[in-house]
Amino acid sequence: MTGSAGVAVEPPGVVGPGVAAVRPPAVATGLGPVLAGATRSEWTKLRTVRSTMWALLFTAVSTVVFGVLLTALEVSRWDQRSLTEIKGFDPLLYSFAGLNVAQLSVGVLGVLVMTSEYATGSIKLTFGATPQRALVLAAKVAVFSAVVAAVSIVSCAVVFFTCQALLAPRHAGVSITDPHVLRAVLGGVVHIVLIGAIAVGLGATLRRTAGAVALLFAVLLVLPGLVTLLPSPWNDDITRYLPNSAGAAMSAVVRFPNLLSPLAGFVVLLAYTAAVLGAATLVLLRRDA
Amino acid sequence: MIAARELTKRYGPVVAVDHLSFTVPQGEVTGFLGPNGSGKSTTMRLLVGLDAPSSGSITIDGRRYGELRFPLREVGALLDADALHPGRSARNHLVWLADSNRIPRRRVDEVLASVGLSEAGHRRAGELSLGMGQRLGIAAALLGDPQVLIFDEPINGLDPEGIVWVRHLLRSLAAEGRTVLVSSHLMSEMAVTADNLIVIGRGRLLATGRVADFIERSSGHHVRVVTPDADVLGELLRHKGGVVTRDGPEGLTVDGVECRDVGILAAAAGLTIYELSTQHASLEEAFMELTHEHADYRAMPQAGAGSAA
Repeated sequence: MTGSAGVAVEPPGVVGPGVAAVRPPAVATGLGPVLAGATRSEWTKLRTVRSTMWALLFTAVSTVVFGVLLTALEVSRWDQRSLTEIKGFDPLLYSFAGLNVAQLSVGVLGVLVMTSEYATGSIKLTFGATPQRALVLAAKVAVFSAVVAAVSIVSCAVVFFTCQALLAPRHAGVSITDPHVLRAVLGGVVHIVLIGAIAVGLGATLRRTAGAVALLFAVLLVLPGLVTLLPSPWNDDITRYLPNSAGAAMSAVVRFPNLLSPLAGFVVLLAYTAAVLGAATLVLLRRDA
Repeated sequence: MIAARELTKRYGPVVAVDHLSFTVPQGEVTGFLGPNGSGKSTTMRLLVGLDAPSSGSITIDGRRYGELRFPLREVGALLDADALHPGRSARNHLVWLADSNRIPRRRVDEVLASVGLSEAGHRRAGELSLGMGQRLGIAAALLGDPQVLIFDEPINGLDPEGIVWVRHLLRSLAAEGRTVLVSSHLMSEMAVTADNLIVIGRGRLLATGRVADFIERSSGHHVRVVTPDADVLGELLRHKGGVVTRDGPEGLTVDGVECRDVGILAAAAGLTIYELSTQHASLEEAFMELTHEHADYRAMPQAGAGSAA
């Protein structure tokens, strides 16, 4: 005790030396190092399981193969195309056809990032090592998104340049420096990355692989089909706000009437991502592991 | 030091842990004992923050586990040894754990060597035997060189050599001044490993104390006599106030008369004795008695009032 006068002049918020000495150093550490540790740990987890690498390879290959095949097919029937086809031709539409498959494999892998930990029970070790569960989720999303982004940038670049080379003899190709083209290619990457982040969030919320994958596929594959059955104009109005339509808006060079603007598409898909990750955080914090 | 205060956990209508209070001192091995389903594992889950208590608290040196920044450096826990990804190598399993708490990678090889898994480090976790998996779980607990160690049923699946190894490990960790809490449903194992005991049943505290005191206090003893004159000696002992039960054609089990007094009585009556010895009730019996009483009390709370006298 230093006497009341000494305490009174001490500015509020300053911790006295006695208190600081008692406080264990580990608690005094900020959350930054915890997030750094969790992130490094998640990277180690991701790269040390072989199935991850296979799924990423499949994602990259499907992006490239489907894009190149469909573009080559289109080039081969070039002279038989109708006027509407020619008018509405997007130089990236066929190139990026593989993204429809890639988003599914990224989705499954994203779900597994969380649910495989619940299935094996290793989630106990994960939360035991990092009790700040929101940081664990943040680390998982950050690492997975970064890896998916790296793979997508490479595969989107490969498919873009290959397909444009195929289209060049028909004078239908575009250059990466043409208006909207770079934005569209990066939009394809962002689309895949955000679907992956949504998938991680679904896995964290539902904890079961089957349930999370089923829900993801229902939203990406089944819902668009159901919505088209609605009476016009509801079908078109709703369709443009669905996750894959919002994603497709980002990667289109030509502006399609049934899609949002690229920026609006990005905002919508980001909003879905934020909502799912927000729900996942609440579930992680509230529920017993 | 680990301290539980009025710790309670309900899962819906089920009360898994019921107003449990205890402390686990440092520098000693404390056995956490109870029948299967008595709430040991739940208490340990609450301790490492996997589940949140319904009420009460459990802390490590005054702090909740969730407040720890790099908990592996302060608390090592073996809760469920097969809770790991089967496709990842044993060594990489430890590497990701080390990374999460910024523990140097060289510690991974140190702990692998200390549990005898250096050669098996490259093998996939799913290919390890039960005992090797248990060793890997123990290695994970030791990774951060923590002051507090928690082991849930650590000898499960271990061969006799492994069991002895775990006993030595627990003893030496405590000798280094660490806090060691080890759960078991085997009283006999705790008798050779632990200094202190915390005994629970149906989520409630039944007894705490030194193992030695516990054995002394709870183990009743009786005298076993083998004699061709069992009928005669039995009658004499009953006169002395003993409670005698017949054990085979020539055997008697006597409560309430000391061994030497049985000998004196038999000699005075000129009876032949083949065998005379004090039998200590086994720890398992004492443990079952303790937990059974509790179960009876729980099942019939009204019955005690009239018959207590």
